[in-house]
Amino acid sequence: MSAFERVTRRSLLRGGAVVLGSAMAAPLLSACGGGGKSGNAKELTFWNFYGPNPQADAQSKWFTDLAAAWNANNEVKVKLHYLPVSEYLAGTALQTAFSAGQGPDIFLLSPGDFLRYHNGGVLADLTPHLKPDQIADFDGGVLDTRKVDGKVYGLPMEQEPLAMYYSVDAFEKAKLAEGDLPQTWDQLLDVAAKLTTKDQFGILFETIPGYYQNFTWYPFMWMAGGSAVPGSGGAGFDAPGVHQALKLWQDAVNNKVAPRKPQGDGAGNAPANLASGYVAMQQSGIWSVSQLEQEKKDFTYGVFRLPVPEGGTYTTDIGGWAFVANAKGANPEAAAKFIAWALGATDAAGVERGRQWNTVVKTNLPARKSVQEAAKAAGAFDKPALKVFLEQVVPGGRGEPRYTPEVYKAVSDAIQATQLGGADPAKAAADAAAKIDTFLKGYKGAAML
Amino acid sequence: MATLVDPGTAVAGEAAPRVWWTRRRKEALAGYVFVAPDLLGLLVFVGLPMVLAVGVSLFSVDGFGGYTYVGLDNFRQMAEDAQLWQSVKVTLTYMVTFVPIGFVVSLGLALLVRDHFPGVGLVRTMFFLPHVISLVVVGVVWQFLLADKQGAVPALLRPVGLGDVSFLGNPALALGSLVVISIWFLMGYQMLILLGGLKDIPKEYEEAARVDGATSWQRFRHVIWPLLRPTSFFVLVNSTVGAVTGLQAFDLVYVLTKGGPANSTSSVVFYIYQQAFTFNNYGYAAALTTVVVGFLVVATGLMFGLTKGGRFDVG
Repeated sequence: MSAFERVTRRSLLRGGAVVLGSAMAAPLLSACGGGGKSGNAKELTFWNFYGPNPQADAQSKWFTDLAAAWNANNEVKVKLHYLPVSEYLAGTALQTAFSAGQGPDIFLLSPGDFLRYHNGGVLADLTPHLKPDQIADFDGGVLDTRKVDGKVYGLPMEQEPLAMYYSVDAFEKAKLAEGDLPQTWDQLLDVAAKLTTKDQFGILFETIPGYYQNFTWYPFMWMAGGSAVPGSGGAGFDAPGVHQALKLWQDAVNNKVAPRKPQGDGAGNAPANLASGYVAMQQSGIWSVSQLEQEKKDFTYGVFRLPVPEGGTYTTDIGGWAFVANAKGANPEAAAKFIAWALGATDAAGVERGRQWNTVVKTNLPARKSVQEAAKAAGAFDKPALKVFLEQVVPGGRGEPRYTPEVYKAVSDAIQATQLGGADPAKAAADAAAKIDTFLKGYKGAAML
Repeated sequence: MATLVDPGTAVAGEAAPRVWWTRRRKEALAGYVFVAPDLLGLLVFVGLPMVLAVGVSLFSVDGFGGYTYVGLDNFRQMAEDAQLWQSVKVTLTYMVTFVPIGFVVSLGLALLVRDHFPGVGLVRTMFFLPHVISLVVVGVVWQFLLADKQGAVPALLRPVGLGDVSFLGNPALALGSLVVISIWFLMGYQMLILLGGLKDIPKEYEEAARVDGATSWQRFRHVIWPLLRPTSFFVLVNSTVGAVTGLQAFDLVYVLTKGGPANSTSSVVFYIYQQAFTFNNYGYAAALTTVVVGFLVVATGLMFGLTKGGRFDVG
């Protein structure tokens, strides 16, 4: 071995150790200090999955117009940062940014993920920037899952209720008419069996594990009188209503009238499942009206509200995204002001902005009463599907619940184990309830709703 | 400037001139220069995160900048984590099926395309092609092929009464389906490595065995197999590491099943991802990562010891 090799190797290792040691110590030390402000106080970053979309569709334009309108009249500017929806929903970018203390100033948040961010202390209070009449303009309990101790931490841009879609063509082929639309769970399974053929399933419920699957299953749990957390509207997770709801989804798969795997990116995609002829009925949200309009214009479909169990009360789940501000950002005040203006302004421009988003570039139920009125006046709900949503689906709706990741996972495991794993619903519910109860004993965050 | 004289060429009896810039040193320097980019990449993108992970594993991290020192608590938590043990089971099942079956299939392909025949280049390319496709695309394509009722595979199986089988939606079949897709994806790459090993075996050895009356199996067993050991060792270690931490163990799960149905494909790496990015348990995720890396170091060491590093020249 030459002296050259010896010396180089040693120095390489020595140098490497120094580099690694200091690199390891620096982030840990800075992290322990934690909590410093990040970003630019004069330019707020707004992370979203709409715009500026490279495909530059109408929804992207709504976002870019929004930022442009704000920037024209304010010293603190808003800069949009687009992430593809798959990355935003299930990727690592947003979480990694917050973890590194570089979270965006403004971002979109769903109720299902609200507690994770609120309990992490990164949601700014928007209340000081909202007048009472602005808060009162929000429909029913739509703000409830964005409130903690009376303070508003997010402004919803929309309401997205869940309902059942059906293929008119599939019904006709099975010699079924509108009068055969199922009203109860038993009828639902019965009609699904009649619609099941060699190439088509009768009904589709989500089967991919995740927040969305839980979101779509909750209405069945509520209708049967169950709840995920004791005290949040029901007895808790180990209750007959929960067993019943788990069994409904299990029966659909066991009877082979529902698939074990949806097509495309999941059961929220109506063009890939319902319009492709893969299923004849599909549980999905109001967004599928615009999806079908854009991707399968000639497809004929109808909408009906979710069937109820014997003796149950009709309920559906109403989701929807909200704008929230980063309390640890460079200028949370300005971020909160922007949100209050963008989604809460009660002047004509503000109402029109809401109407455009909810009923022109997208199909939602507006979260604000004034926007709903403006949309009705403009004939937005004349379309048969949207009329059903407004008149039949939404009454009795309940906001998407907010649970912690621990509760979400326990519920998800129970749904998966029964729907696809063949587990006994009562046993799966008891297992999940035990995990939830253990977790709740040490839980100190905001209330679960 | 120093005279370039190799000490080995100095005339006997004369004192060799003291030169620093020898051929060996030049070769060593060239070696370091060639290795440097990779080494730097490894240090920055593998070594450093691994060391950081060990540090983070001693903290409770909330994902929003909050770090609390908890010592070895994250490691203690593992014993009571039922989901972790389910994920370990999934990973081990995946490993003990994917590694040997993938190896046998790849070796079979390499032997098949070892000798020249018309169109051999095309055949080799066809086997290798899946490997050049992104795993995400592979996942999407197989999702179509295996789709319930409407996929090409159920359609092919319909005549034998298996048309209603759900490959990715049934917990009993989902992991097996991922193993098959992984083998399909990796077999061309492994075939190419093994083919390189096979090409290095002098034809004379096999010819001599053939002249001595050895059958095909005897030639494989006593000539090819021992001489292929270093290549086989590399392929086996590579696919074992790949099975536990590699792309196919995560990407395919992520694209095709999201760990379902009923956690049947939730591998350890997917579980670590969930702990970090779904539950914000970065400290626990780092502890799990540390253990997985430790396991791989031990497993690789064992394989190294058992196969003598794949060397065939030591007794």
